[in-house]
Amino acid sequence: MRPGEGLVHFLRAAYARAYVRMVGSFREPVWLITDAILPPVGMCAFVLLYRALGAPPSFEALAVLGGILSAFWINVLWGMGTQLYWEKQQGQLQLYFVSPVSRMAILTGMAVGGMLATTIRSLVGIALGFGLLGVRVPAFDVGMLALVFVVSMLALYALGMILSSAFLLFGREAWHVSNALQEPVYFMSGLYFPLRTLGASAWALAGIVPLGFGVDAMRQVLLGKDARGLAPVEVETAILAGLAVIFLIGARLALAHLERLSKQEGRLAQRWQ
Amino acid sequence: MRVLAARLRTAAWLGWQIESNWAAPFLFVVYAVLRPLAMALILAGMYWAVASQAARREAFLGFYLANAFHAYVTQVMVGMGWVVVEEREDYETLKYVYTSPMGMLTYLGGRSTVKLVLATVSMVLALTVGWFVLGLRWDWASVAWVPLVSSFALGLVACVHLGFLVAGAAMLLPRVAITLNEALAVAFYLLCGVIFPIDLLPAGLRQLALVFPFTYWYEALRRFLLGHGASAQLEAWSDGALLGVLAATTVAFAMLSHWGYRAMERRARRLGRLDQTSLF
Repeated sequence: MRPGEGLVHFLRAAYARAYVRMVGSFREPVWLITDAILPPVGMCAFVLLYRALGAPPSFEALAVLGGILSAFWINVLWGMGTQLYWEKQQGQLQLYFVSPVSRMAILTGMAVGGMLATTIRSLVGIALGFGLLGVRVPAFDVGMLALVFVVSMLALYALGMILSSAFLLFGREAWHVSNALQEPVYFMSGLYFPLRTLGASAWALAGIVPLGFGVDAMRQVLLGKDARGLAPVEVETAILAGLAVIFLIGARLALAHLERLSKQEGRLAQRWQ
Repeated sequence: MRVLAARLRTAAWLGWQIESNWAAPFLFVVYAVLRPLAMALILAGMYWAVASQAARREAFLGFYLANAFHAYVTQVMVGMGWVVVEEREDYETLKYVYTSPMGMLTYLGGRSTVKLVLATVSMVLALTVGWFVLGLRWDWASVAWVPLVSSFALGLVACVHLGFLVAGAAMLLPRVAITLNEALAVAFYLLCGVIFPIDLLPAGLRQLALVFPFTYWYEALRRFLLGHGASAQLEAWSDGALLGVLAATTVAFAMLSHWGYRAMERRARRLGRLDQTSLF
């Protein structure tokens, strides 16, 4: 192999998988309802709860951002976590493993494609929250928001890469695990309320899933002190970057372990296990 | 009658096996309570966050209460749609159930009893957490028991019968039925004023909310358990009027559901949808 050829292969495979993810997700218009419309509709209920309780308007903005970001967690769970399990159910997983490309490239493509598709779909949440419900935020630093968003997504989707390997080991439980991780993670991440509300335990909860630090940091960029942040934005962004690196290494190790285990036990092509 | 009871029992037993046999009992219980518990905690987190600044924080108890009872809508009504999707797409057994002498409607009725039990567990758990952990309590002496039990029963009837309609739609629709199931759970959460008064809905949606029995159900549960509702619009109604409209909309939707279910089942059969898997 010539120098640099491995990288080219990696990028090509990642691009191919991302392309399928992007095009495929827009080819099924009904999925737009599930992925783009339903999460922000749920968010509307939480915004109206704050309104019903007579809470300060900043809480409504806080819930809108949480609702928008919930779509990314759903994508990580169902589009990353359960993906390899579904591939196994459809009999395609073994094709990934026999193809002459890095499995990490496939996961990277899945992550990048899912991230881009969900970002486009999150426009619905922005329209509902800031348009229909009339929620407002003060002027903010767009560059800083973009930086925090990208670092958060890196950490989140790197965790998704680990989950995709881990869920394969669950077999039939994968579906239930994914279901069970939805609302509990919303709570642990303080998606609809400031994480600081949970006191000292907030640090521990936020450390498990990077969504917590991500949403907290983005809220601080958008709302300043009204976000009631857990730690300064810079600290949270640094933690997220660290988590991204750790999760990426973890994903590589988990994938290698899974591949070895699957080959040893011959379970790659077995459905309903 | 004895035969019907035996069939319902068999369907319920089968439903229990399908719902729970993928995990050890303890693990199953953990999974079953995790989501409703987390939902209750999210609401609690929101309440804790604004408790010192909210102008109308006393209203929270009513919203928390309705959220606990919403488990019946998501698990029973929407759950019946999931029964059809799972049987047809995942297990590929819908055609066998359909052609068995039990009958599809009886089977769905039996399956719904398991979901009723699971929803009851969710509801009790959420209220227990609210009572003991969050301090969300009501005065038992002021509970209007007869209207409360009546409205609770009417709500359950509405959940089960609308569940037949959702199941009928799931039979007729291909994989889009999955989206329909998910959309219905969220739509009713928003439309029927579970965690906020329907008065806050935009015009159009507010009027639409008044069509569904669940809007009156949540309001009745709040009023008869706590002594006050949430909606200013419905506050003016007498207890009798509220119960009457709840009963009327429940009967109307029950009739519509049975007609709709039959029509969609016939059409699904004619189009060969009963054994057509449509997942990837």
